[in-house]
Amino acid sequence: MSREIPTAFAIGEALRIAMESDPDVILMGEDVAGGGQRPDGTDEAGGILGTTRGLIRAFGPERVLDTPISEMALLGTAVGAAATGMRPVVELMFMDFIGVCLDPLLNQASKFRYMFGGKARLPLTVRTVTGAGMQAAAQHSQSLYWITSGIPGLKTVIPSNAGDAKGLLLSAIRCDDPVVFCEPKGILFLSSDVPEGDYEVPLGIANLVREGSDVSLVGIGATVNLALQAAAQLENEGLHADVLDLRSLQPLDEEAILTTLGKTGRLVVIDEATPRCGIASDVAALCVDQGFDLLNAPVKRVTAPFSPVPFSRVLEEAYMPSLEKVLAAVHELF
Amino acid sequence: MATPIAMPRLGMSMKEGRVVLWPVAVGGRVEKGKPVVVIESEKTDVEVEATQSGVLRHVYIAEGETVPCGTLLGALTGDVAETFDADAFRREHDRPEVVTRAPQRRVEARPSEAGVAKSNRRAVAPAARALAQQLGIDIDAIAGTGPGGRVTKEDIEAWAARRERLVPVGGGVHLEVLRSGDGPPVAMLPGFGTDVSSFAAQARALTSAYTVLGINPRGVGSSDAPGLDLYAVTNAADDVAAVCGEPTHIVGASLGAATAIELALRHPDRVKTLTLITPFVDASPRLTVVLGAWCRMAAESSAETLARVLLPWLFSERVLADATACDRIVRGLAAAAVPAATLSRAAAGLRQWSGSRQGDLARIAAPTLVVVAGADLLTANGAAVASLIPGARPVVIPDAGHAVMIEAADQVTTAILEHLR
Amino acid sequence: MQLTYERLLGAYRTMRMIRGFEEKLIELVNLGKMSGFLHVYLGEEAVATGVCAQLGDHDYVASTHRGHGHCIAKGVDVRGMMAELFGRSTGTCKGKGGSMHIADIDKGMLGANGIVGAGIPLATGAALTAKLKKTGGVAIAFFGDGASNQGAFHESLNLASIWKLPAVYVVENNGWGEFTPTEYVVPVKDIAERAKSYAMPAAIADGMDFFDVYAKAGEAIARARRGEGPTLLECKTYRFAGHYVGDALAYRPKDEAEKWMTERDPLRCFATRVLGEGLLSQDDLHRADGEVSRYIEEAVKAAEAAPLPEVEEVTTDVYAASPRARSPRRA
Repeated sequence: MSREIPTAFAIGEALRIAMESDPDVILMGEDVAGGGQRPDGTDEAGGILGTTRGLIRAFGPERVLDTPISEMALLGTAVGAAATGMRPVVELMFMDFIGVCLDPLLNQASKFRYMFGGKARLPLTVRTVTGAGMQAAAQHSQSLYWITSGIPGLKTVIPSNAGDAKGLLLSAIRCDDPVVFCEPKGILFLSSDVPEGDYEVPLGIANLVREGSDVSLVGIGATVNLALQAAAQLENEGLHADVLDLRSLQPLDEEAILTTLGKTGRLVVIDEATPRCGIASDVAALCVDQGFDLLNAPVKRVTAPFSPVPFSRVLEEAYMPSLEKVLAAVHELF
Repeated sequence: MATPIAMPRLGMSMKEGRVVLWPVAVGGRVEKGKPVVVIESEKTDVEVEATQSGVLRHVYIAEGETVPCGTLLGALTGDVAETFDADAFRREHDRPEVVTRAPQRRVEARPSEAGVAKSNRRAVAPAARALAQQLGIDIDAIAGTGPGGRVTKEDIEAWAARRERLVPVGGGVHLEVLRSGDGPPVAMLPGFGTDVSSFAAQARALTSAYTVLGINPRGVGSSDAPGLDLYAVTNAADDVAAVCGEPTHIVGASLGAATAIELALRHPDRVKTLTLITPFVDASPRLTVVLGAWCRMAAESSAETLARVLLPWLFSERVLADATACDRIVRGLAAAAVPAATLSRAAAGLRQWSGSRQGDLARIAAPTLVVVAGADLLTANGAAVASLIPGARPVVIPDAGHAVMIEAADQVTTAILEHLR
Repeated sequence: MQLTYERLLGAYRTMRMIRGFEEKLIELVNLGKMSGFLHVYLGEEAVATGVCAQLGDHDYVASTHRGHGHCIAKGVDVRGMMAELFGRSTGTCKGKGGSMHIADIDKGMLGANGIVGAGIPLATGAALTAKLKKTGGVAIAFFGDGASNQGAFHESLNLASIWKLPAVYVVENNGWGEFTPTEYVVPVKDIAERAKSYAMPAAIADGMDFFDVYAKAGEAIARARRGEGPTLLECKTYRFAGHYVGDALAYRPKDEAEKWMTERDPLRCFATRVLGEGLLSQDDLHRADGEVSRYIEEAVKAAEAAPLPEVEEVTTDVYAASPRARSPRRA
């Protein structure tokens, strides 16, 4: 059975299921309860976007913990709890804030297992909102998954739709490695099919959401939907596109990328993040390194420009990848 | 038990140190924690403490000497009496660090203009290159249709598909044979400087009842272009014989007609019927001069300019008066343009053949149709050729130029269809 | 906890083990036999020993870059530690961690840590686990005076305070933050004063006196176990050696160090008291000295003879086994 619900609700469902099935799962974050102490729950915010609504009432204040605005303590405490037997799910309100608390992820959680010779378990999940599109401006709109994807020992995933979001989050929480779960602003209020009940979408596996053998469009999070729009448009020109939803940024499903490249010989990757040192560049490098003889055209990267995210609506729209930019990139390949 | 005293590593940048002072003489006692040697590094004197109490038994490095970190400076023993082998001890404990120097930086030469400037190399997609290598194709022979003239995988595939139409004719040579239709075979042999597309109208009409084999001769279309001095008409005839394994209707125009004649004489078993369009057995001076100029222009001008110059030699006044028709014809001629090298070789072959078969035409046995163009400036003696072939039937198309199968396509088609029946 | 004969002898052995271990490391480095960044705990033995003598395997300790003392006091196998410092596959961390990352989570040792202050939130997390799982355990964060200026310190104490976590924050104030004197970077006379900002009780102990540390730490630990929340315990101590092995100490007045080393040596102070009060005999102490010395020598020999890790180990232990992830395609 499935129904269409927004991604934010699907995430809330995943959290509820995770907490029901494992008493060690706890939520920590700023405003994750957001009140909820009144019997009728009218004061309950359930997170800045309402994603965790209802959970403190269902599981109580020992499992849904509001923290002060202290990201270092929040992340660091979660790491310590994860190392000693809990399975914490931390909300880092906006991924832009990772600058304040990078050390617990960069030097602690990611490295314990390795530094301690394999004798540590860090079942930590960090949920965090990414991306532009809400005019939230430069310090609340970044897509910084390239940072965590490059840290050995961390895993980083990013769904493109509500159904995947639920299953991917459940996998992330149940994984014994520290996982960063990105929630792109562009999809949080989009509704799509979400099966009921408990199910998992595996980490590390990309999803081919549309098939065609003329060009490969590789999308990340919200840009997958852009890729699908472009693919529909390209049909009118007689071009048929493969659309690959990466889903997992680390581990990266290299096999899926090389398979679609092998099929079409022409690949465009669409990434909301900065053009430097990013996932788009990783994908392009993989194609050139291991798919060289498959390339029938250059690999095109449609990314944000190299600038902070601007505020004004017209500027923000120009900043983000768009249908026009994707189509233009595709046209350069023929 | 002896205790080593080594030059310590103090601070991350220290590489060597100088022994300043041995405060205790050899044989003297020193307490644990008290200075046993003073060393200097980076302008600072540092007292190195004894890690055990004992007697200074041996000094390896004297005051004033500078040594790398890790070098064994001296040894302590519990007392003066215990056995101690200074050399063995040194071998065991002396560990001077190797001082590494940063590698010399070579002064970078300025990149040469040629390397950095736009290269004249064509862009070739890696997938195209890989496929070409796999198929054993010389990629330089293939035109690119990708952006900026890039050679794409599709270009290789198209070229390879055309290659599949190649038929071996012996001696390692392959000719391009465009095959269409179903029925008894009809071979079409094009004239000088063009390819089988000149027979497009006829081919279309024939395919419903016949198998049309458009045979591009050496150096034309995708056919091999052996690097000979000339392409002899006799070889061209042998090539056609190799392609047509059975009695075939042969249609040849101009130089293609010469090949057809040669075929009928050398391989009569291959010839079911013969159709000669604007043939010659002896090239006129005008034809010879025009061919010479044709070869030069092909080497020096664009295909389009060449086509424009050829128009009045190939077509009648009626066609020349129609600008639209001329444009269309020029585009067609330019598209069918033959490489300059092939033209020279074919022209040389033509000159060699010219006049050689006048007396032999009487031996041709196959039923022959000769299409004569009334306004043909280049091969005006078609009727004479018809008269020399026993039983040959001339069909005259008045007011048409040398390229009669283009100019008067329908009439030529009708004549051929009738002849083949 | 009562300081029985066994506990006292055990405490002496621990302090002697720490002292011997760290001195041996200096010797090995100077002989060029050991490499890496090493930070020794000489002079501070009483702090780790006094606190950890009251902990069990279910209690957690987070440490610093100067972590060997905490590891030894918490019960991490010393031979494993020595092998780790030699980078051997038999090391506590299979040779992959090194001095600043020695850990044994099964023994409640969350690890030495190369990031100043990073252990403080980790211990706070361990305390959270203890509270949520009702294990009755406590978590100790050891850190230095320098770390008390880090944001992580302030955020963690705040959080532990509002959540009443069973934690003890032990600041080892040894007067020097790397090459900089503490009085330059800390504006308050006693770091213990900082607890007031977080409505947290604090205590100050003489870090050179095992007995004082033991008593004050005992009170804080008991408070935590009773569910009354965290305490900040400042131990005034002194770092006998430099910041790291190889530090020439040009920045520190020699007479200051001399004074501490001759008058306030924690092992000598301990010995004086236990002998004076007839709690342990001279024989007890000498026997312990001998045993520890031999033990360390053997640990060195065993470590030097142990195998180095296989090169393949570079890329193992990065992740837990993930059977569902597809492996990347090989070229």
